[in-house]
Amino acid sequence: MIIMNEDFVISVRDLYVNFWISGTGVNSFKDAVMLFGRQRALQKKQVLKGLNLDIKKGECFALMGKNGSGKSTLLRTLAGIITPEKGSIQIRGTVAPLLAIGAGLEHELSGYDNIRIMGTLIGLRGKELKESVQTIKNFSELSHDDLSMQIKRYSAGMMARLAFSISVCRIPDILIVDEALSVGDQGFQEKCAHRINEMKAAGTTIIYVSHSLTELKRICTRGACLENGRIAKIGPIDEVGMFYEQSFQ
Amino acid sequence: MLFYKIKNLYQLVYTIALKNIKVKYKNSVLGYMWSLLHPLAYLIIFIFVFSQAFANIERYPLYALVGLIFWTYFNNSMNQIINSIINNASIIKTIALPNILFPLSAAFAELVTMLLSLIPFFSLMLFFGLQITWHTALVVPAIFVYAIFTIGIGTLMGTFNVFFRDIGILWNTLSPALFYFTPIAYLSNLIPEKYQAFVQANPLYHYMTLFRDILFYNQMPSSRTIIITCLMAFVTFTVGLFMFNRYKKGFVSNL
Repeated sequence: MIIMNEDFVISVRDLYVNFWISGTGVNSFKDAVMLFGRQRALQKKQVLKGLNLDIKKGECFALMGKNGSGKSTLLRTLAGIITPEKGSIQIRGTVAPLLAIGAGLEHELSGYDNIRIMGTLIGLRGKELKESVQTIKNFSELSHDDLSMQIKRYSAGMMARLAFSISVCRIPDILIVDEALSVGDQGFQEKCAHRINEMKAAGTTIIYVSHSLTELKRICTRGACLENGRIAKIGPIDEVGMFYEQSFQ
Repeated sequence: MLFYKIKNLYQLVYTIALKNIKVKYKNSVLGYMWSLLHPLAYLIIFIFVFSQAFANIERYPLYALVGLIFWTYFNNSMNQIINSIINNASIIKTIALPNILFPLSAAFAELVTMLLSLIPFFSLMLFFGLQITWHTALVVPAIFVYAIFTIGIGTLMGTFNVFFRDIGILWNTLSPALFYFTPIAYLSNLIPEKYQAFVQANPLYHYMTLFRDILFYNQMPSSRTIIITCLMAFVTFTVGLFMFNRYKKGFVSNL
C-alpha cells in the first residue's frame, strides 16, 4: 500500500496500458464474426508495462524516449483519454492536454464558432465560455475579421495560433504538452513560451514531451526516459538527458 | 453527480449536433431546403411511376410520403451515426470526453432536421388528404421509439465500424436494397403470403406499419405492432450501448 505524498500531483503505480488492435483483411473480419462471443476479436499489444511515476506539484517534468517507447500513450492515459488495463493513477487537479495542435477544429466554420465549440469540449461553460472568447482573441492576436472568417482560409500559422490560444486560455493545475510548441512564427513561439512560464509561476505542473534536449533543459528541471513501456531512468534533467543521448550510441 | 454528468453530456451533444447541422449545409445555396427536396424528389418519382399501378390505393401520394419521410430519417441517421466515431477521431484522440457523445449528437442532429422537415411536410400531407384525429398525436411517441431504435442500431454498427471499416461500406451497399425491401412505395399485402415471414423479419416493416396506422389509416396501431416496435427499440438500444461500452477502449488505438 502506497500512501500518496502530499507534494505529488500525479502518482502512477504499476500502470499497464494495452492497445486493442483489429487485424485487417478478410481473415480478421471472418475471425471476428466466427469467434464472436467465444474469443476476443481484438488482439492485445502491451504498450505500458508496469510503469511507476511521481510528479511533484509545480514542477516542470520532461519526458524523453525513442519513437514508440510509449510517451504519447502515457500522456493520453494521464489525460484520461485512454483507460488503463491495470494499475492506479492518482491525479490532483484539472488536466489540460495539448497533444496535437488543431485537432478538432472544424474547417468549414468561423474562428468564433470554433472557439465556442472547442471551448465547450475542453469544459468551458456559460459565462466562462463567453469571457474566454475575448481572452483567446487577445492572445491569438487574430482580428475580428479573421475570426469571422471560415478557418479553412487561415494560414497554417494562424490556425496554430487559434488552436494554441484555445488550449491555454485558462490556467490548469496540470498541463501536458506533446511537442506542440514548434508552431507559429517566432513571435508567437516566444509568446507560447511566455504563457507556459506564466502558468509555471501560477503553480501549474507541466509535463513536457520533446525530442529537443535544448528545449527541455530550458524549461524542465527533472525528467524521465521511457524505454519499451517502462521508465528506464528518472532524475535531474541533465542526467536523464545524458542517458537519453547515450542510448543512441 | 449523476445530474451534473447528464447536464454536461447534454451540453456537449447539443454543441456537436449544432456543429454537424451547420457544417452539413454550410457551402450549399439551398442549405436546409435539401432535407425537404430529397424526399420530395423521390415522392415525385413514385407518383409518376406507381400511381397507375396502385390506382386502387386512395391518397397514394400521402401513403408514399409517410414512408419516405421516415425512411429518409433512418437512412440519414445511419449514415451519420455509423461514421460519427471515425469522423471525430482527432477529438477522441486528444480530449478526454464521454465518447458516446459522438453517436448521440449525430442522432440528435438528424432528429432535429427531421422534426423541422415535418412542419412543411405536415401541410403537404394535409394537402394530400391527411385527416387530423386524436390518433395523429401518437406520432410523437412513435418518433421517440423509432429514434431509440435508430440510435441503438447505429451505435452498434458505428462501434464495429471503428475496427472493421467494412461495416460502413456494407451499409452503403445494403441501404438501397433495404429501401426496396421495405414497403415504402408499395403496399405490403402485395407480397405473396409465403414470403410474409421474410418481409416481417425486416424491423423497418414494423415501424412503417406504425407510422402508416397513425398518419394514413388514422387508427390505433395494433398491440402487436406496438409491442414489436417498442421491444426492438429497447433491445437494439441496450445491445448498442453495451457493445459500445465494451469496445470503446479500443477506439484510440484503431482510429
